[in-house]
Amino acid sequence: MKRLVFAVLAVCLVAIPALAQEGHPLKGSWLGTWAGNKTLGNDVVVVMTWDGKSITGTINPGTDNIAIKSATLNPEGWLVHIEADAKDKAGSPISYTIDGKIENLPLANRVVTGTWKDNKGGTGAFKIGRQ
Amino acid sequence: MIMPSRAALLRVLRSVFVFFVAASVTLIAHHEPLAKFDDKKPVTLTGVVSLLDWRNPHVHVFMNVKSGTGELVNWAIELESPIELEESGWSHDTLHPGDKISVEGMAARNGSHQAWGKSVVLAATGRKILFASVSPPPMPLAPHPTPRWPDGQPRLGAGAQGRQGYWAFPSATALVENGVNAPMDAWGLLKNIADAPKVAPMQPWALKLYTERQQRFLQDDPMYLNCKPPGGPRQFQLQPGLQLVEDRTRQRIFVLIGSGNNNYRIIYTDGRSHQGQVGGDDENPLFYGRSVAKWEGETLVADTRGFNEDFWFTNGGLPHTDQLKLIEKISRPNYDTLKYDLTVDDPGAYTRPWSASWTLRWVADKEMPRHLCQENRS
Repeated sequence: MKRLVFAVLAVCLVAIPALAQEGHPLKGSWLGTWAGNKTLGNDVVVVMTWDGKSITGTINPGTDNIAIKSATLNPEGWLVHIEADAKDKAGSPISYTIDGKIENLPLANRVVTGTWKDNKGGTGAFKIGRQ
Repeated sequence: MIMPSRAALLRVLRSVFVFFVAASVTLIAHHEPLAKFDDKKPVTLTGVVSLLDWRNPHVHVFMNVKSGTGELVNWAIELESPIELEESGWSHDTLHPGDKISVEGMAARNGSHQAWGKSVVLAATGRKILFASVSPPPMPLAPHPTPRWPDGQPRLGAGAQGRQGYWAFPSATALVENGVNAPMDAWGLLKNIADAPKVAPMQPWALKLYTERQQRFLQDDPMYLNCKPPGGPRQFQLQPGLQLVEDRTRQRIFVLIGSGNNNYRIIYTDGRSHQGQVGGDDENPLFYGRSVAKWEGETLVADTRGFNEDFWFTNGGLPHTDQLKLIEKISRPNYDTLKYDLTVDDPGAYTRPWSASWTLRWVADKEMPRHLCQENRS
């Protein structure tokens, strides 16, 4: 069921052409993969916003609904750091840390590439593109 | 069967070659020349005109130039738009295939045989041609009084008795905080990138983004790349100018622009709030935001908010967010001058509110030139 919801969400996001977003570079909906994530699956959707002081958002809205605990953007190198706490299938807490870098910054279809890891030894490549 | 002569065949082949070269020239909408050409790579070319391509967004002269090895190389010389050249007295008849010309300019950044023509000289006469020389109308020795409606309110648009005109020649063509000295070109490109932090009180991410846009010579400007509207104060800094059409019956002012995609902004003066129209713009941030205004003495004070983030709100690429609020104070101290005072309040991109001011000149009895950006070309 979760995969179906994700697939529908992904189709909806892909069907919407990427709009130029000339404001804060992280704001918007992002779709991509965190490879090897056995708990939540390979596919990931991240929605982020910027209120002028902090970045907030949700990972996999509608399915996992993981609130972003903290997120930062270092303009020097456009480095992204995201932390979020979720629960695994058994209901145990699991913490995620994502470190990446914005590429193609001037373009509407910019991407964040990097790595994800959790506190249980899971890790892998992370890549999301702005929709 | 009649076989064409070798000369005729060569003429046909040359025409085909020129056509394909012309078709392959990158058509970027009317843009900052430095986005495409490098002022550190000056070129001087002498050759024979093969084609004059007189069309938007830029006029191109194609010329055959003999290289050092004796080969003929076809160069594409990019010039201003037909509108600016026609305003300066030139036409598609100014130059013809076969004319010998000398060109001074700057070469394309990508190393192709393209150059921006700073100077084109017709060899036969030594006459400099195809340069833009549009200048503001001279100010009268004594300023004419502000035109007024019968109730005494200043007229911001056309004068009485149906006299037409428009506002152009802004005294500043990019936003810079009042009191700051940060020299720029007409497109908002800083002469010295080290001045970037002085331009406005930007948050770190906004400063870095602005600096990178500048370092890319503004080539990502969505107004030129995608014909996106020049929301906010940018309307008042466009070189082709704008018109203010006051509809007093319906209590609104239309801001019409002579460039971009020629869409318009409405400033409501009927006392309404910022509430959008249900089912319309109530939830949608807009390119021009929602503007409501009232008169405070001689000054129209417009309060605008509800912007989207899909455009650049200023020449030069200062960033903004959807938290942007603008207070614009517009007045007409005399017939020929429009005064524009702006306060930018965007806590998403700036560390504090800041202000900028400039004036525009009235161009009397003329139609506003219309550059039209569509299908990503202007």
